[in-house]
Amino acid sequence: MNRAYVLYEMGKADFLERVRRYSFLLTLAGALYLGYSVATEKMWVVIGNRYRGVYNSAWIGAIMAVSCSAFLSLIGFYVVKNSVQRDTETRVGQILAATPMRKSFYALAKTLSNFAVLAFMVVVLMFAALAMQLLHAENRELSIGKLCSPFLLIALPAMAVTSAIAVLFEMLPLLNGGFGNVAYFFVWSSGLAVSAQIKASDPTGIQLLFRSAGAALSKIDPSHQNSFSLTIGGQRAVRTFVWDGFDWTASMVAGRLMWVLIAIGIALLASLFFHRFDPAREFWRKKKADVSVKSPAGETESTNQNARETRPAQLTPLAGRAAKLRFFQIATSELRLMLKGQRWWWYAGAAGILIGSLVSPLTDSRGGWLVAAWIWPVLIWSQMGSRENRYTTQALIFSCERALQRQLPAVWAAGVILSTLTGAGVGVRLLIAADWQGVLAWLAGALFIPSLALAMGVWSGGSKAFEALYTVWWYVGPLHHVPGIDFAGTTAASSNAAAYMLVTTALLATAYVGRRTRLGYA
Amino acid sequence: MQLLIENVSKRYGSNTWALRNFSLQLGTGVLGLLGPNGAGKTTLMSILATITRASEGKITWNGTDVAAHPDALRAVLGYLPQDFGVYPNLNAVEFLEYLAAVKGLDGPSSRRRIDELLDLVNLTDVQKRPLGSFSGGMRQRVGIAQALLNDPQLLIVDEPTAGLDPEERVRFRNLLSELSGERIVILSTHIVSDVEATATDIALISKGTLVAHASPEGLLRQVEGKVWEWTIPSADLTAARQKYLISNTTRRSDGVHARVLTSEPPVRAVPALPNLEDAYLYCLSTHRAGAAA
Repeated sequence: MNRAYVLYEMGKADFLERVRRYSFLLTLAGALYLGYSVATEKMWVVIGNRYRGVYNSAWIGAIMAVSCSAFLSLIGFYVVKNSVQRDTETRVGQILAATPMRKSFYALAKTLSNFAVLAFMVVVLMFAALAMQLLHAENRELSIGKLCSPFLLIALPAMAVTSAIAVLFEMLPLLNGGFGNVAYFFVWSSGLAVSAQIKASDPTGIQLLFRSAGAALSKIDPSHQNSFSLTIGGQRAVRTFVWDGFDWTASMVAGRLMWVLIAIGIALLASLFFHRFDPAREFWRKKKADVSVKSPAGETESTNQNARETRPAQLTPLAGRAAKLRFFQIATSELRLMLKGQRWWWYAGAAGILIGSLVSPLTDSRGGWLVAAWIWPVLIWSQMGSRENRYTTQALIFSCERALQRQLPAVWAAGVILSTLTGAGVGVRLLIAADWQGVLAWLAGALFIPSLALAMGVWSGGSKAFEALYTVWWYVGPLHHVPGIDFAGTTAASSNAAAYMLVTTALLATAYVGRRTRLGYA
Repeated sequence: MQLLIENVSKRYGSNTWALRNFSLQLGTGVLGLLGPNGAGKTTLMSILATITRASEGKITWNGTDVAAHPDALRAVLGYLPQDFGVYPNLNAVEFLEYLAAVKGLDGPSSRRRIDELLDLVNLTDVQKRPLGSFSGGMRQRVGIAQALLNDPQLLIVDEPTAGLDPEERVRFRNLLSELSGERIVILSTHIVSDVEATATDIALISKGTLVAHASPEGLLRQVEGKVWEWTIPSADLTAARQKYLISNTTRRSDGVHARVLTSEPPVRAVPALPNLEDAYLYCLSTHRAGAAA
């Protein structure tokens, strides 16, 4: 069979499957809003001594392409990191594995289908950039080449790299689950930081824009500061300069195409770890994801070793139903469900953090150990609200009496128990120190995290959205003690207990409404 | 004890009907819900199990409107869905304890019940093994056990014997028969032999509508005098299939013995005793012909 045709059909099926998902539309909307915000100065790009480029085709194209490549190289990863997983879950993978398809071909096909999804978003943004220039009206002279070239030569190679990394993460046993979702953020952010530090080329093209625009600015303002920032709420640009766009030399183009080659290399590397859906080699993954009973295609059980003669059913009638809501019992069950299957090292890590937070000085305990304590269970919290969906137990649970009133609060309570237990060291220290404001901030954080997890789990139906958002939020807020977004209250200055209590209430209401909507019944 | 289904319809999108004007009145006993793939059985099961809301119509449980008060039904419901999952890190006891808690059962009596149910579905020996290591059939038996946890008055089982070995299938059929004396059991399947063995009533469903509702004997009466055994050369089989509805064929030394369902038998065909599969195929065929006309 023609390989190009197979590649096309595989890519098409994956593409159609994903562009019909809400996550695709949400991400596209987010990317469009980002581009719109940058082009209409809701967010602003400031370069040097408070300069910005005149909104001509070159500047609009470049800043939208760069911001879109930075945004989609992070969020897009989470959108596309599911193609191999879907083949496993739907068992299509086993059908593909029985064909002569080579492992490298499969990895490249998956990379290509990921790329098609992300490239589609880039193309939509490219047309949006055109509209933005006309809308902005600062310079209506259209130059299609200058407007489009940053999308084609900056954003698309970035998408190729993101697509290949998503496939690599899916094929590496350690990274194909929630841990990989969390780890990718750190890979992405450290990649940007390192390239900024050493002024090296990066897939997102930020350094390329910075160098080119910086050179243009130096000509009109030799004293210009060597800085570049994309800001919301920071200092606006007060001066403009005309930037005529990238002068695409052969070496620059080659530099960008190099990222496409790197993407192909990553995809081929990924294929080394691909096990062709061999159930024996994916046993641990099977335990987690492939445990549903599918009728009537389910396997027929082999002859029972302990076969017994058939005999009448003897069931003792139930003495009685629980007269009142057995909330504690359900919450305990939910907590056991959360913790069951955690390895010894997880408990060892949690215990280490707890001990560290008990013996360290209070400021270190609150500003350091608490931050660690509240990222450690992220993969457990991320199951909240979506576990039933992931393991296909909705019909069993949601057909139970008062499932909405019983089970949902129990899940939340179990999540709160987890956050209070892992952060208990800091809570105890604050209580001993009679730092009541600190206690309140700690409590707000302990309530907020499971509420966010529950709401996102219920509405997204999966764990990925929470894993991505929470990791970014944790990194920007508590880790850097940024006021307003430090939900853990890691310092007195950055904590805001009242706000997070309010947000917690709103999130709980959101989770309730979401589950109620999904149940169809109330 | 009465479950009343009145003109229930389920529409997806603007004009796709999975179920249309479906009405049925059920008392204690086993109702076998038979129909081809895509007939609407699972949709009906989901609606009855309060997982999906009907687009039109009304379901009442002992006079209570289920749409308005779903918990009235959920409190007495045991449901084994067609597709369901389990939590792989829990063992069978822990999983059933969890569901017992969600169903609102108290600890001591649910524990005793779980032991009995695990024994009943022959999983006692493996009750401490993680469910992730269970085979499809073993998981199906866990599903059967959870459906019986709360001693349900209404037991809805959707394709329950899929994946079970012959012995477990017989055990489950016997169990359904024994349970049916004091409760309503709805057994949805496309395996006619399962229904033949257990059902006190049969409802045939096709393309979302009720084709027939009768006792097994009543259904068999509908095909009395319409089932024939006809011996033909192998080469004539294709032509015979085009002309007659054939429910079964057996190759023998004298040719192919075809089981023909018709009121106008072919020459040299001899009458045969009808079975439920004949009745099922004949009713569906008649219904399709009527719909096409």
